[in-house]
Amino acid sequence: MHGRTNRGRWGWSPVQLKTASPVTGKLLGIFVVGAAVSVALGVYADSHTPTHEKPYTLFFSGTIQLKVWLATAALALALIQLLLAARLYGKIHLPRRAPAWLGDAHRLVGITAFLLTLPVAYQCLWALGFQSGSTRVLLHGLFGCVFYGVFTMKVLGVRVEGLPGWVLPVAGGLVFAALVGLFLTSSLWFFTSSSAPRPLF
Amino acid sequence: MFKRFVTAIELLAAVAIVVFVVMLFANEPSTSGVATSPGGQPFQANCASCHGAQGEGGIGPKLAGVVTHDFPNETDQIGVVTKGKGSMPAFGGNLTAAQIRQVVDYTRTGLGK
Repeated sequence: MHGRTNRGRWGWSPVQLKTASPVTGKLLGIFVVGAAVSVALGVYADSHTPTHEKPYTLFFSGTIQLKVWLATAALALALIQLLLAARLYGKIHLPRRAPAWLGDAHRLVGITAFLLTLPVAYQCLWALGFQSGSTRVLLHGLFGCVFYGVFTMKVLGVRVEGLPGWVLPVAGGLVFAALVGLFLTSSLWFFTSSSAPRPLF
Repeated sequence: MFKRFVTAIELLAAVAIVVFVVMLFANEPSTSGVATSPGGQPFQANCASCHGAQGEGGIGPKLAGVVTHDFPNETDQIGVVTKGKGSMPAFGGNLTAAQIRQVVDYTRTGLGK
């Protein structure tokens, strides 16, 4: 049996050893970089002295309102992103024939959603820091750190060639899940809690 | 054409990330709002994220200039800070009784109007 399958000393054939290692190395590298981004954000938020300042409001009545609506818009774009990905992978068939620009539209929507999160994250990190005063606030901080980590993994997963087919859907799913977690612990709380500040806009 | 536009947006995002990181480290926090009162530091560390650096309000209600009206009796305010009330967490486990009193004094006398 060993001779027929040409297995090596540890049960791996020489061909498997040559091809599996680079993929594992790439996946490990992507995971390490993404985890480093998450940890770096958490360390910064925890060690930086919060300013408690509200640096921008744009046309909203306050910074909190600005953050809530930017996060909501980012989630709405992420939902569109999810539908575009489902069409790209053939999980849904609407439109029946996928247009050639679908992949670029997926990229554009994703980048736009990401850009919308940056002012929110900046105010959270710079002005508020990492807090654990309540379960909601603690989870929000953790989701925030995880979001940018898995987003980094997703972007690297797109750029690095030769990865297994499951990597991008899984990474994209994690990004979406982290964004949903962020929304549930911030914007949804703002919209539903009677103790949240008003007005809505 | 569309692909070029998307690539341009991606480049913009890359620039935004660089600006984001630089701003985090270059924009040093302002210390003008931190009073010399002993309650000023614990207020900034524990209360300002909800009530604002100057007690102007935010997620939590405004304190500056109104807290003595809302809590004519200081002991009542100390009780709320210690045990929490509604969405406000209890700080009895994070701060000592002396620190809570200092913070309460700060909100009553050290914050602006």
